[in-house]
Amino acid sequence: MGVLIIRITLNRVHAIRDDWSLSASGTLDEGVHLVSGDVGSGKSTLALMIAGLFPLSGGSIEKEGITSTMLSLQFPELHVTGLTVAEECTSWGVSPDDILGTTGLTGKRDVSPLSLSRGELNRLHLACILAKNHDLLLLDEPFSSLDCEEKAKLCTRIGQTSQGITIIFTHEQEILPRVTRIWEIVDGMLVDCGTPPDAFQNWHHVPSIIEKLTALGSIPDNLSLDDLKEAACRIRG
Amino acid sequence: MISIENLRYRNLAIDALTIRPGITTVIGPNGSGKTTFLKICAGIILPDSGTIVVDDAPPRQTDIGWVNEYPDRNLLFVNVADEIASPLRFRHDTCDSVDSAMKSCAETMVITHLLTRTVRELSGGEKILVSLAAALVHHPTVLILDEYDSHLDAHVKEKNEQIIRSSGAKYIIRCTQQMDTATQSDHVLFFDNGRVRHDGTPDQVFPFLKGTAYYPLLWGC
Repeated sequence: MGVLIIRITLNRVHAIRDDWSLSASGTLDEGVHLVSGDVGSGKSTLALMIAGLFPLSGGSIEKEGITSTMLSLQFPELHVTGLTVAEECTSWGVSPDDILGTTGLTGKRDVSPLSLSRGELNRLHLACILAKNHDLLLLDEPFSSLDCEEKAKLCTRIGQTSQGITIIFTHEQEILPRVTRIWEIVDGMLVDCGTPPDAFQNWHHVPSIIEKLTALGSIPDNLSLDDLKEAACRIRG
Repeated sequence: MISIENLRYRNLAIDALTIRPGITTVIGPNGSGKTTFLKICAGIILPDSGTIVVDDAPPRQTDIGWVNEYPDRNLLFVNVADEIASPLRFRHDTCDSVDSAMKSCAETMVITHLLTRTVRELSGGEKILVSLAAALVHHPTVLILDEYDSHLDAHVKEKNEQIIRSSGAKYIIRCTQQMDTATQSDHVLFFDNGRVRHDGTPDQVFPFLKGTAYYPLLWGC
């Protein structure tokens, strides 16, 4: 029996609107992929296209071995369907008891999800999504509004995902998970920067902390907090 | 000075706090009261008890620029140009002066290409830039930004940092989850469970946070 391959191939995918366009080609294998790009460059549009929710102006997207896809939108408020936090959990097919305990929202079981702070809502939303396994998980700005501790916890959780393809579309610069491959959108084109740490050299959107560490002669192995701390400590001896 | 005394609102409690002119950055866990504090500073909510005064006037008698952490909750109008112009129209400026102030604000923020768009067509980051323009167009005394940077890339954030600093706003109060940004402030407040746990310059506050995810990475291992 052959090993099941999970893979996405973008064949000259194209989207055009007025004076804006986006082109993407490349292969995404199993692992965690990071896509960076300026405000308005098309990160969210690319996420929607890969999820099959945005019409392509040209090209095609080939998906192999993917039986379940989950897209987490940039605005968690757009996902809300439950009138209470508990109902919201149930709407995702997960038990409120499991989710509320781990997200520290036990006391807010009966309040409207839209009355939560944005960070709390994002925490609830991500916990519901991550409670299940997905062959393809698309996370659009998942770190937005999360506090530093929660960002670190999310990175640990993403790092524990052992199978499938996770694609993170973000401009987060400080707290990131260990990633398999780095991509960026530059001048309307998706560019494959490669695998860390070599990718750091080709990456226009390289986080300033990595630039600073590199200038000091200490290149981190990857993007996670542990990698950055290890590199920072190498400088200090 | 912004002076706060014996302030209580739900679980938020601040006995005494002074905010000097300059950039004040509020940090702390989700749900610790940061947004509630910003809303009180903006006059959007009134405290249950206690006082807050901005140079001797309450927030509701002060010119405030405000950017909400939910990008869509900032936007009232269909078109970007109308959205940016709205604070000037609400105070009945003349049509000519509204138009020129709106355009010059968009130029400063390098978003003139968005002026003909509808707000629905904007990306998350673009919505925040339009909201920031609407907050700055009337030259407020106090500019309040609730995690506006969580939607911006590093280059845009750096550019906007300069725009905010040169905006003429006497007080800039913002909350962020980016500690690199927090280190570039005059004043840092660390909130936890409705209380101001630490208050001072970045050099004074961050040593208390050593060993937590709030400690700036480049400050050491």
